[in-house]
Amino acid sequence: MKKPIIQLRDVWKTYKMGEAEVHALRSVSLEVKEGEFVAIMGPSGSGKSTAVNMIGSLDIPTKGSIYLDGRDISKMSESDLAQLRGRKIGFIFQQFNLIPTLTALENVALPMVFQNIPKEQRIKRAEEILNIVELGDRMDHKPTELSGGQQQRVAIARSLANNPDVILADEPTGNLDSKTGETVMDFLEELNRKEGKTIIMVTHDIGVAKHAHRTEFLKDGQIVKSLKNNKGASKT
Amino acid sequence: MKFNFELVKYALLNVKKRKMRSSLTILSILIGVTAIYALVSFGVGLQNYVNVIGEQAGVDKLFLQSRGIGVPGTDANFFISKDDVDFVDKINGVQEITGLYVKTLEIKKDRQLKFVFGSGIDPKKWEFIEESFTVGVKSGRALKEGDLDKIVLGHNYEVADKIFKNPIVLGEKVEVNGKKFEVVGFFEEIGNPQDDTNIYLTYDTFEGMFPESRDRFGWAMIKASRGTEPSALADRINERLRKHKGQEKGKEDFFVQTFEDALQTFTNVITVLNAILALIALISVIVAGVNTTNTMYTAVLERTKEIGIMKAVGARNSSIMFIYVIESGFVGMIGGAAGVFLGFLISSAGGAIAAASGFSFLKPAFPIWLTLGCIMFAFCVGAASGTMPAIRASKLRPVDALRYE
Repeated sequence: MKKPIIQLRDVWKTYKMGEAEVHALRSVSLEVKEGEFVAIMGPSGSGKSTAVNMIGSLDIPTKGSIYLDGRDISKMSESDLAQLRGRKIGFIFQQFNLIPTLTALENVALPMVFQNIPKEQRIKRAEEILNIVELGDRMDHKPTELSGGQQQRVAIARSLANNPDVILADEPTGNLDSKTGETVMDFLEELNRKEGKTIIMVTHDIGVAKHAHRTEFLKDGQIVKSLKNNKGASKT
Repeated sequence: MKFNFELVKYALLNVKKRKMRSSLTILSILIGVTAIYALVSFGVGLQNYVNVIGEQAGVDKLFLQSRGIGVPGTDANFFISKDDVDFVDKINGVQEITGLYVKTLEIKKDRQLKFVFGSGIDPKKWEFIEESFTVGVKSGRALKEGDLDKIVLGHNYEVADKIFKNPIVLGEKVEVNGKKFEVVGFFEEIGNPQDDTNIYLTYDTFEGMFPESRDRFGWAMIKASRGTEPSALADRINERLRKHKGQEKGKEDFFVQTFEDALQTFTNVITVLNAILALIALISVIVAGVNTTNTMYTAVLERTKEIGIMKAVGARNSSIMFIYVIESGFVGMIGGAAGVFLGFLISSAGGAIAAASGFSFLKPAFPIWLTLGCIMFAFCVGAASGTMPAIRASKLRPVDALRYE
């Protein structure tokens, strides 16, 4: 029996818009087990990105608790959160979010810089992962010299830099054509199947969500439905 | 936070990437540092000159002057009499004393007429005079007793276009106050135009030209005997001479100053002048610092998303702050280094121009502490200016920073 790696317990996120309060998340509870591939779907404004930001400790809940590997991250300091993020979570964003002044290799090595990993080790690891995502021949290219698909593969490589347990992907195929998107999804699936990475992915594309083991549907800040998929990785 | 060279490299990369904005900020720091470096290099050079003079002339020299207005000898009402000199000569602790006549003379060559200072000196005291002036006769010979129609000239007469179009040569006869004199020697360069245009004549020649000034010296030079404290000797001379002349304390018509005091006065003036000028330059550096702060705030805004990305991949607040402080520090340091280089060029050129104009004592000095100090100072100004924007950058919430477009 796999143990839960992420737990959201009665999580609320409320924004103040002048006098009014807007609830981006309302009493969301969710459990993700080690090695699971979970898709979060929902219409625009449903709170799916907010949920992923909470799980990734990029934001803190207004109310409720979030546990990552048994630790309540909603009560940790920003500095500790930064370290935990760097070690335990890898991010993949819709906009790729690579640093434009750095090469592909430097972008992939960046998370390791903040973990104080020695340079030689950093370079070796970054080269290895870039080879895995089939970008061994593009290491010295800046993001602007790469196609969208290649940039997203660099982002995937970066998310793996510190060998995290969890990968959070926010619309990873949102800025890619369907063919490139499919390649990226194949990579994610492979990571889940072969490396046993826990993947939580936000998408609005049902076709993309089918790569996951299960799909959580969000509406108006609440989980309204949970579906197990037939297709997807087979480790759970 | 551990020192992380990669973050330093990243900060440098950002300076390089934003060439135009960085160069404008660098330029503003450069201007201030150039001014500071150039001014201080002249100040240090002057201080060195004073120190060298002090060492060469020795600290055992004193001056006896009358209380008057302007340069000694220019007002006939103020003088040191031969009787004063003879009296001081007998005071315990005075090894040697010589009075010097001073007058404005007119010297003529090839129909060109110039007004310069002339010193009537005692040829028997020539060695003492050379020791006090820290320079000696470079070419020709010193004046000796009986040299009635002979003179020794300052360095500038030997140089074309300094005083006269054509230089004066040894043995040449020139007209001084309507009388022909043979030039028998030239002094070495002292380094300031007034001293280097002096005419030296013997007592006899001077008294012959100005009989009314006989035994009325412009000033006198004194050498303290070995083991005598010059300042104590100055006090003693002051007291004895006052009593000898029957004058009230505080109402003497003369004053005694040690060479050290004179140098100190000169040094103080230089220091104050230098400090004022450096302060003005400092203001321009502060303005440059404000400019750097502005630039760094813009950089933080421009790179908000990058900050978010870095935080998402594990950067602590302190790492983000480090990057921005180092980045603005580098901007300052580059401005500082360029300012030092430009300041060096300006000072060197200024020194060369001053030397060509006869002010060779205005020679800038470039000690290593000044160079490194200016660069470090510029780095600190840059880093300090970047601190506020850096704090702001470090405190950005990752989720907000990532959303920033």
